[in-house]
Amino acid sequence: MSNEKHSNYSVNEDSQYEIDTLTNDRLLKDHSYDGIQELDNDLPPWWKWLFYLTIVFGIIYLVRLWVFEADDLVQNTEYKIEVDEANRLYQASTLSQNTELEMKVLTDANSIAAGKDIYDKSCAVCHTADGGGLVGPNFTDDYWIHGNTMEEMFQIVTNGVLEKGMTPFKDQLSPQKRLEVLSYIVTLHGTTPANPKAAEGDKLDWPY
Amino acid sequence: MALEKFTYDNKLAKNFAVITIVWAIVAFLVGLIAAFELLYPSVNLGLEYLTFGRLRPLHTNAAIFAFVGNGIFTAVYYSMPRLLKTPMWSKLLGQINFWGWQLIIVLAAITLPMGLTSGKEYAELQWPIDILIALIWVAFGINMIMTMVKRRTKHIYVAIWFYIATFVTVAVLHIFNSFELPYSFFGSYSVFHGAQDAMVQWWYGHNAVAFFLTTPMLGLMYYFIPKVSNRPIYSYKLSIIHFWTLIFLYIWAGPHHLLYQAIPDWAQAVGIVMSIALLAPSWGGMINGLLTLRGAWDKVREDPVLKLFVVGVTAYGMSTFEGPLLSLKTVNAISHFTDWTIAHVHIGTLGWNGMMIFGMLYWLFPKFYGVKLYSRSLANTHFWLATLGMLFFAIPLYFAGFTQALMWKQFTAEGYLKYPNFLETYIQIRPMHMLRAVGGTLYLTGALIAVYNLFKTANAGKFIRFQDAEAENEVKHVEHHKGWLNHRKIEGKPVTFTIWALIVIMIGGLVEFVPMFIGPFNNHPELTINVKPYTPLELAGRDIYIKEGCFNCHSQMIRPFRSEVERYGEYSKTGEFVYNHPFQWGSRRTGPDLAREGLPFDKGGKLKKPDAWHYEHMINPQKTNIQSIMPPYPWLATKDIDMDIIPAKIRAMQTLGVPYPEGYDQKAVADLQKQAHGIAEGLRKSGIEVEDQKEIIAMIAYLQRLGTDIAN
Repeated sequence: MSNEKHSNYSVNEDSQYEIDTLTNDRLLKDHSYDGIQELDNDLPPWWKWLFYLTIVFGIIYLVRLWVFEADDLVQNTEYKIEVDEANRLYQASTLSQNTELEMKVLTDANSIAAGKDIYDKSCAVCHTADGGGLVGPNFTDDYWIHGNTMEEMFQIVTNGVLEKGMTPFKDQLSPQKRLEVLSYIVTLHGTTPANPKAAEGDKLDWPY
Repeated sequence: MALEKFTYDNKLAKNFAVITIVWAIVAFLVGLIAAFELLYPSVNLGLEYLTFGRLRPLHTNAAIFAFVGNGIFTAVYYSMPRLLKTPMWSKLLGQINFWGWQLIIVLAAITLPMGLTSGKEYAELQWPIDILIALIWVAFGINMIMTMVKRRTKHIYVAIWFYIATFVTVAVLHIFNSFELPYSFFGSYSVFHGAQDAMVQWWYGHNAVAFFLTTPMLGLMYYFIPKVSNRPIYSYKLSIIHFWTLIFLYIWAGPHHLLYQAIPDWAQAVGIVMSIALLAPSWGGMINGLLTLRGAWDKVREDPVLKLFVVGVTAYGMSTFEGPLLSLKTVNAISHFTDWTIAHVHIGTLGWNGMMIFGMLYWLFPKFYGVKLYSRSLANTHFWLATLGMLFFAIPLYFAGFTQALMWKQFTAEGYLKYPNFLETYIQIRPMHMLRAVGGTLYLTGALIAVYNLFKTANAGKFIRFQDAEAENEVKHVEHHKGWLNHRKIEGKPVTFTIWALIVIMIGGLVEFVPMFIGPFNNHPELTINVKPYTPLELAGRDIYIKEGCFNCHSQMIRPFRSEVERYGEYSKTGEFVYNHPFQWGSRRTGPDLAREGLPFDKGGKLKKPDAWHYEHMINPQKTNIQSIMPPYPWLATKDIDMDIIPAKIRAMQTLGVPYPEGYDQKAVADLQKQAHGIAEGLRKSGIEVEDQKEIIAMIAYLQRLGTDIAN
């Protein structure tokens, strides 16, 4: 490591600096650690401005929260706004489409396919994919706990059976979707599942 | 002034370097196994010890404390004597540091798969090991400080500033976060509760990243980059400014892990603001690293060591840009609980930590053995595999995180959740998880090549243990400096420097914690929730939940978003967690949130399932859903609840302020048996054969309790 002084670049009488020959930057005198030297470069201006900017951001942020309690910074307010907005939006849309849904089994291929998709995602966890039943009852046999008319089943899917653990799906599935999934469940009747659950409820006539 | 002669002893640094490589392979391999478990749950071979919930803490601990930890010690024990022109003060303390640290790692590798965990991320180890960690860490610190006291150079170099900050801060973080009350030799409860515990944990967790994965790496960078490239540091002023601002600001940033969660707005805001302000100080380090290479870019093209350093420092710049970004509430609302965070931290570990440490090893081994590196082209191959591995790891996970978050939040035109079934959102990102495993495989392959290359290098030479050196003793020199250079004064007083660093890093923590420990700590003051302590059976179940590491995949924290309230139920309130020692909010939803798992539908619950479903699901999740990636937990139905420990657990909870009645510890077991009998009877009625005292009964009791206090 050269200790030679470059007097032409020194800024004070102590000759504080030497020069790094590759970059022409000033080296700090006496800054040598195991041969590692340090340059006397200033902070890059863009870096300084970046730092100031983030500090200004912070001040504005805190003032907006603590002094003005801005709606978009107070967590509970943010939530209320989001829910109010959604309620407004869906009230309008549900009013417009609040026509009576006919409680009729859908038979078209598209509805059945849509119903199967819903069934596999939402129902199979308790009733198994083939409808044989696990925690929930068997859909393939002739026995029904809460009835097997479309009206009765729609009621079950909508409001659940709390004491038995059946989920109410009114918040998850639109009425149309509930009808689709029921239409699919109807198709499972009479099929032969791999591990059928023992019959529960009463033997009922099959109305479809 | 006369030159004094002394000798450097390379043995300790060499030992740490060798063990670093060993633990690197272990950490990467365990991570890869964990990645495959998320694709195929059967990868755990049906063994409780290898489930994701127990393996993931082993992976993170191995990567952070074993791989990076030993890498840090390598850097410190090699660079410090040379920067201070004196051997390390105590060989004995060095030996204690080495063997003690390896012992801790081995204990972690045994206890974590056994399920002995405190349930706090990156601080999972149980209290006897925590004490051991503190002792070993202090031995390391004393050795550093005494070496500085005995130094021959007048000033301490910036690398050592970072080492000092590392030592003092990690000591403070580890000790404070590990305050736990033991109820047995390998069991304890965090003394902090709920939201308090969350604040302490993420103050720790975030600053483990800051002061274990960042500041010591900056120290490493400040020594090895100028050394390898033979270039001067770009800016001494920048070193000063970015060092002090970095360590001051970092400590405040913890609450950004808890945005939109059940902590007060002011705490979140402080976390956000300080995280944003961290951008420039972090980039100060990157600039000083990269610009030091001005005039040496031709060497960078040639030298795999410098290539690794450049990508490492660039990865540091990327992840410290991303960090502040993720701290913004709008971004965090999407990123949190998703793979985005996983991608972010792996840019840090695979990129910054991994590349810096391997770069250092490629440079040190030839020095240690007095030969050239065995193969430069193999090192280049490693470099490319590591770079590609990192990208293949992170980029798919960015997509995955974004995709899953959007699916969670999407509503249909009628106002229903578009994807009400959680699993559906997971199936969607499975291909991304496959690509992630490919990335991990590439990275591990690169590391294996490094092992071979370094082994061959060592084999070709003979270990040079002692290196003679000479230097003047400058400590007594008098100096006069003005302006910026006033910092020189404190650089000449290492003990004062250490104390100042300690003061600076204490401020943020104190400001954030004091209000939590004195006043009421609640972000829902309008709400009084009648929270009851857990029944003994629920408490036993909770401890099994923690033991199995359920929190590694399931959060218990519903954020105040319509999409989460629709899916999981009313959002979580601070007050609900007041008897939770430790808190279990989680950080990644690989499975659905469980905060209101037990809340009945007529009380606003969304997810409640019958006991029988929980039984079937835990015994075999694929039976309830063939696509589920949750591993089966059949042992829960064969293992008995540990009844003998129940009174001690109740007494520990009473000590922590949980209001069980006086003398309840003696009645708890009877209550537990009664409740267990009720649940088991119900299951037997559903045709499930199970005995009262099995662990699964406690788990079901706990799950059915979750989130129900709000209905009281």
